[in-house]
Amino acid sequence: MMHSYWFGDVEEGGCTRAEGGLDALVDRLNSISTSPEDIIPPDWRMARECGAVKDRAEYLERLREICLRLARDRMTESFQGRDTELIQMVMALEGMDQAVNQLAERLADWYRILHPEKGWKYRPRDSRKVLARIGEDAGGSMKEMLDGILRLREIRTRLAREIGDRAFVILPNCARLVGGLVAARIMTLAGGLTGLSRLPASSIQVLGARGALFSHLTRGTPPPKHGIIYQHLRVHNAPRGARGKVARVLAGRLAIAARIDYYRGVLDPGFIEGADRMIESARGRR
Amino acid sequence: MIWIGDTLVSAGEAGVYGERVISGHRVWDPYRSKLSALSHLGKGVELSGSMRVLYLGAAHGTTVSHVSDYVEVVYAVEMAPRPMQDLLEVAGRRKNIIPIMADAAHPEGYAPIVEEVDLIFQDVASPVQADIAIRNRIFLSPDGYLILVVKTRSIDTAARPEDVQGGVGEAIRPHYTILDSTWLLPYHRDHVAFICKR
Repeated sequence: MMHSYWFGDVEEGGCTRAEGGLDALVDRLNSISTSPEDIIPPDWRMARECGAVKDRAEYLERLREICLRLARDRMTESFQGRDTELIQMVMALEGMDQAVNQLAERLADWYRILHPEKGWKYRPRDSRKVLARIGEDAGGSMKEMLDGILRLREIRTRLAREIGDRAFVILPNCARLVGGLVAARIMTLAGGLTGLSRLPASSIQVLGARGALFSHLTRGTPPPKHGIIYQHLRVHNAPRGARGKVARVLAGRLAIAARIDYYRGVLDPGFIEGADRMIESARGRR
Repeated sequence: MIWIGDTLVSAGEAGVYGERVISGHRVWDPYRSKLSALSHLGKGVELSGSMRVLYLGAAHGTTVSHVSDYVEVVYAVEMAPRPMQDLLEVAGRRKNIIPIMADAAHPEGYAPIVEEVDLIFQDVASPVQADIAIRNRIFLSPDGYLILVVKTRSIDTAARPEDVQGGVGEAIRPHYTILDSTWLLPYHRDHVAFICKR
């Protein structure tokens, strides 16, 4: 039986050296397939017999060179997946949200000690209005900080819109079901489109409810009904008693949508229509 | 291996990940590296200059860099692209790290590359950690060692870590002779290391 190694093919009768330069050897490694039962590790002396190398040092040097190239190629390839940039954008958005909230809270506290007569009770709680009020009489670094926050918030809004738009391209079916932003977030939690397409519906249902899920598993608290899909209006606005059910049906449809997105990558109007009907009917009955 | 007082160190080019350097040697922190933790606990395997090592779950290459200071060659297997970026940087500056981007659960993917080794060090976060150890046994020389670090939390978050330890022990016992199994406390929580012979 023949065994293929990076330096050549080894058979009973001897060894045939693999020809070609670095590119050819890298291609060769990508095309060799060994079945798990037939693995026999190479011995560097085989490579010497082949005439591929003259000694152990050269064996390692050549192998290292080829493997560096191969690993770099594979890494680049996986970075070029259509979902990798979207994941980074979602993570950037989350980082920005956190930063904006934290800075806005800091600013409000700072403002309060300068204006002890102004409480926040009986006033709009909306943070946008709070910031607007600070804007009326802030100055110096406080004003600059406020401007920074407002600017960051604008960027955040634009980024969120861009994420939503892209999600409709990359995850057309998922995005139609739950909206672009939520679809992108779900995909990010699953670690990518590939990961999402391999997840069971029951896991998709509780993505983003990690704390609740683990406290259920370890301490026996009630299981979470929904994770991030709660953010979508369909679940959020459903009657309280039906939320769990809507979340379950929606997660079931999402699992299928993710598989369509992964394997076909185009919108399937027939599927969406059927899914919408199922979700609506889940909302109706208790 | 090299000890300066109570501190495990290795000899090589410093500055890989901002590690401390004392008298020209790189400090190998047991809190960051499970292999170093094992040595600090007086267990583990003595690394030497003629050793060939298969390292499964190489991650960002921090522990790999220390291992490479001691041994002849490290075959460093890592599946995820992000850590691979760092690992490639480390491998680019050292002559004896062979980086491999592949799934350790499918060793046939690197069968044409990895030779027989004297030590397999496995530190992957996977629910099938025992299977991975069994499938990679083919690369171990007849008198080689396996060090299997099991993160019990990635096998079953709800089970008691001791039960997971028992389960993994049972799974690998038909394939390896288990010499010792030890918890990595106080350096790493919920991690147990199995030291085995083929």
